Amino acid sequence: MKPAPFEYWAPTSVDEAVKILSGLDDPGDAKVMAGGQSLMPLLNLRLSQPLHVVDLNAVGGMSDISRDGSTLTIGALCRQRTAERSADVAAAVPLVVEALGLVGHPAIRNRGTIGGSIAHADPAAEMPAVALCLDARMVAQGPGGERTVAASDFFDGFLSTALSEDEVLTAVRFPVDGPGCGAAFVEVARRHGDFAMAGVAAHVRLEGDVIAEARIAVSGVGLTPVRATGAEAGLRGAAPGDDAFAAAAAATSAALHPATDVHASGAYRKHVAGVLVRRALGTATDRARGNR
Amino acid sequence: MSHREITVTVNGAVRTATVEPRRTLADFLRQDLGLTATHLGCEHGVCGACTVLLDGDTVRSCLALAVHADGHEVTTVEGIAEPGEMHPVQSALWESGAFQCGFCTPGFVMTIYGLEQDARAGRPCPRSRTEIREELSGNICRCSGYQAIVDGAEAALTAATATATTTTEGAR
Amino acid sequence: MSSSVMGGFVGARVKRREDVRILTGTGRYIDDVQERGTLTCHFVRSTVAHARLVGMDVAAAREVEGVVAVITGEEMAALTNPLNLGAPIPNLLSPTYTALATGKVRYVGEPVALVVASDRYVAEDAAGLIEVEYETLPPVVTSEQALAEGAPLLFDDVPGNVIHTGEIEHGDIDAAFAEADHVLTDRIDQHRWGCAPMEGRGGVATFDRSTGMLTYEASTQTTHLLRLLLSGFINQPINLMRVVTSDIGGSFGLKFSIYREDVALCAAAKHLGASLKWVEDRNENLTAAGAARDESVTIEAAVKADGTLLGFRVGMVMNNGAYPIMPPAPVVTNIAGYMLPGPYRLPAYRFSSTVACTNKASYISLRGPWAVETLIRERMMDMIAREVGISPVEVRKRNLVPVTEQPVTSGAGFVMEGVTASETFDRLVEMIDLDEIRAEQERARAEGRLLGFGMGTFYEPAPGTPEFWGLIGFPFSHEPVRLRIEPDGKVTAFTTQVPHGQGHETTLAQVIADEMGVAYDDVRIVFGDTDATVFTMIGTGGSKAGMMATGGAMVAAREVRRRVLDIAAHMLEANPDDLQIQDSVISVKGAPASKVALAELAMGCYMAPGMMPQGVDLDLEATVKYDGENGGWGQGSHACWIEVDQETGRIGVTRYLVVEDCGRIINPSVVDGQVIGGVAMGLGGMLLEHSAYGDDGQYLAGTFMDYLMPSAPEVPEIEIVHLEYETTTMVGSRGVGEGGTVLAPAALLNALDDAFAQVGGKRITATPLTPTKVLGALGVIDG
Repeated sequence: MKPAPFEYWAPTSVDEAVKILSGLDDPGDAKVMAGGQSLMPLLNLRLSQPLHVVDLNAVGGMSDISRDGSTLTIGALCRQRTAERSADVAAAVPLVVEALGLVGHPAIRNRGTIGGSIAHADPAAEMPAVALCLDARMVAQGPGGERTVAASDFFDGFLSTALSEDEVLTAVRFPVDGPGCGAAFVEVARRHGDFAMAGVAAHVRLEGDVIAEARIAVSGVGLTPVRATGAEAGLRGAAPGDDAFAAAAAATSAALHPATDVHASGAYRKHVAGVLVRRALGTATDRARGNR
Repeated sequence: MSHREITVTVNGAVRTATVEPRRTLADFLRQDLGLTATHLGCEHGVCGACTVLLDGDTVRSCLALAVHADGHEVTTVEGIAEPGEMHPVQSALWESGAFQCGFCTPGFVMTIYGLEQDARAGRPCPRSRTEIREELSGNICRCSGYQAIVDGAEAALTAATATATTTTEGAR
Repeated sequence: MSSSVMGGFVGARVKRREDVRILTGTGRYIDDVQERGTLTCHFVRSTVAHARLVGMDVAAAREVEGVVAVITGEEMAALTNPLNLGAPIPNLLSPTYTALATGKVRYVGEPVALVVASDRYVAEDAAGLIEVEYETLPPVVTSEQALAEGAPLLFDDVPGNVIHTGEIEHGDIDAAFAEADHVLTDRIDQHRWGCAPMEGRGGVATFDRSTGMLTYEASTQTTHLLRLLLSGFINQPINLMRVVTSDIGGSFGLKFSIYREDVALCAAAKHLGASLKWVEDRNENLTAAGAARDESVTIEAAVKADGTLLGFRVGMVMNNGAYPIMPPAPVVTNIAGYMLPGPYRLPAYRFSSTVACTNKASYISLRGPWAVETLIRERMMDMIAREVGISPVEVRKRNLVPVTEQPVTSGAGFVMEGVTASETFDRLVEMIDLDEIRAEQERARAEGRLLGFGMGTFYEPAPGTPEFWGLIGFPFSHEPVRLRIEPDGKVTAFTTQVPHGQGHETTLAQVIADEMGVAYDDVRIVFGDTDATVFTMIGTGGSKAGMMATGGAMVAAREVRRRVLDIAAHMLEANPDDLQIQDSVISVKGAPASKVALAELAMGCYMAPGMMPQGVDLDLEATVKYDGENGGWGQGSHACWIEVDQETGRIGVTRYLVVEDCGRIINPSVVDGQVIGGVAMGLGGMLLEHSAYGDDGQYLAGTFMDYLMPSAPEVPEIEIVHLEYETTTMVGSRGVGEGGTVLAPAALLNALDDAFAQVGGKRITATPLTPTKVLGALGVIDG
């Protein structure tokens, strides 16, 4: 299984990449490649046969991790392994580090990028769920310049995002955890390192012994990662504990209608999403208490 | 489809070639350079048989293009020991009787070699057998049931960690 | 141990010599064959399960730069004879077929055309331009569908889609059930899973126009059979046909057969007068190479009140897929039928089997192909224990036949002798504390955790007996070995084994070094090349090598050693019985100064035979056959500890214990590797792997993202204890390759049943044991 032929572009700047994309007769004929860890299997299997591949690997200045007050910005080309090992990321947005540890295997993360995973938008992948949970903001550059898109608007279908065909994702901005914040990512996969049958990113902020805010995103249960908004609403102002978490689990499951595939049935995913919500909230709350 | 000229340092030697952009790094190594130690077990990034080092980091050579290696350094099994000799990682795996058919072996050797380099440099590396198993989970072996591979990896990493400790202490 | 130390190699943990090239990446697997001028082949494969082939347009593909040929099914049919791979089996209705599909396609992945091109990228480009027109027919996916009244027929000449039925009966089965205090019934639908070696199939076929010689370097486990069948299918004189192997990246039964791809490749090479390479990619391997374990078994057990077995009535239906290949599926149903009574006393037995053809890739042999018999029998033993209120230990102890009570007639009617399953089980029981296990389970339940414990025992034909294989309808063949002392005193031995991971280059050298009194490093093992090795039907497979290849090596070494001693006796003026060979020197026992070096003797035999003693055999090369005496059996008992996450349905194997007996151990590393690898395969097959098909016959697991192979964290640490019971045969060793895979599924399933029994879970009767099924059985979700 070998890739079909494509025209290869290796821009050295984002501007050039955008220019290449927007200069094509149909930018939809192109695939943008970052780390390639999602795209390369599709090319090798010829499930994707783009006429053009615009490879961002030679683009400079898109791999930085920087913190500006309450925002942590990770360049889209930042390798997952770099972010995973970054003390700055661990201190500012620990959920990212925990989730990255579940992405594939080290050899995948050495090559895979933060932006690539998010732009590929696999609903079973970890990083889109994290972005959705934290309401990260995606920085996109297109012919008309730069814009930011909230995660809640970004994932708009199966392997589909709000990026237009001539736009490039350049960075992801995560809100930095403040006092009383705690988060957890938990998932259930058939094997270590597999795409999960379901996964949950949960983030809570405690005020006193009350949940001031809870954010929950579930992966592997739909065409996109999904926010458990019903569960989140029920948790607001609640005392953290078994009852509140069980109610959140039930509310999460009730709102889901996952599909069946060779790895798990829809009923399984629906149930397990609730279990994972309960477990993730427990861990996130413990961490939040430790963070006060 | 236009070809591209690439210059890659492979196992310390500078190699120049003209390749189609779609050519995978694995095929470049195996077919264009004749370095057949790197094996292809799935070509979709799951089995790990094609693991090589790219600028010192383990990567799947089936999930990289040859053009990605342009201007970079690649290390394969052929490059970790002199011909006719074994690297300590290889010796430890030989000692533990790690492998049977040997097809997955180069990928495991390179993954463990990558960990061993971390250990020698005093960087974090897996210690317990459970951690080693998790770290090796991106490499599939159909023959061994993994136990003897973990034995060999454990021995190699323990030895490398000891070396690192000694070096660090010596430096103090 | 150091390989320069003399003697005592057998039994030592000698490091494998294969590993030197394996670890340094200098092996030669099939895709490493990269001779200049070799062309690459790629098969175009059916995208539908069942259809008439109405048309194919290959014109655009032929125009692609770099494409040398595109061969259609009809064109290939003109170059080859129809394939019939089931002919030697009695009562097998084995339809013939063509190397590439003609007329109809019968499974997703069936080859319909062959593209020959300068490289694989180009070949795949061209394949993408080939338009195939199908007129689809209703797919037949399950055995039930195949056997249903009025089912669509796959072959016009296979009525009812049934290619074979078989019966085994021993004892008075009706009396057994009439006498029974309890009658228990069970059923297992085992899912389809596969061999999935890390290297798929493949070969390089080279036709030499100057000599008319066709050489096929292949990734196979059986060279001579491949050569024999290929020559017939492609009309190549067999003496102008050579099959060669080098390193083989695993097989597990897959590479025992000859495949239509082999035929097409060799025929095309001959037709084009070229060297052609085909290397199966993973998608092809999973989709089209075939898979196994696709069978349903029902069992009724007649049992006395105390748990004593009276009789089994068993029915087995195997889903053969579309085309019978080697070994034909009835061989598997037959072995399953004869082994099912296991190492227990069973007075009466009836087994009936049906093999159905369906629109799936072929049923192929997979490590312990008959394993379903152990799965259903050992599960039944636990059912019986629960029914009559005794422990799983007690129910087995009451029915196992100790080796001291053998020979005895097995439940299926053949002589069972030297079977130590009972002894392995006793040893296993000594190592566990069932009361403590139950107490721990109770403590865990109090914490909301669910633990399960299961065990099982079995025996297997490793290699079996001539009588047993006679019943199966498959010959118990002799094992030839050719061995010579070279002029410098070193030893070259030619085995008909085709090793693919089993370490025969090491173990046979250990055996020969000890027998001959030479250094291990001075013994080289040659394998694979049909121009060098002696004909046998089977290469490596069926757990034969431990006994048969070892025996062949011993007989050959002893024959040549005898000749050496006869010659040396004249030279040293001594009685041959008074001579010894140590460190490649022949000397008189007790008079070490009276000696001659093996090298000196050998050089004399080769270079100056006239100056050597006369009246003795100076030929230092012998070809011998080991008849296997009366064969023997492998056996073992396993115990499996699991924890079930009742919320996620995940099963974790927390401890695994094996007591096995393959007789005298030649190399503990090799034996342990076979056992651990086998157990891992059995557990992975039950928990993760599934060659799944949709209702439409589409294949659903065509990548390693969907076909889940166990990785290191999914496999537990496996503890092994060896018994080394030696029968009276010359060779103390028996086979060990398959047992782990045969018994592990049973021990695991029994552990799951044990866990479920504590919390009222439903028994799972259709594998694999997915988290979804576990939660369904626990009543957590519907299903």
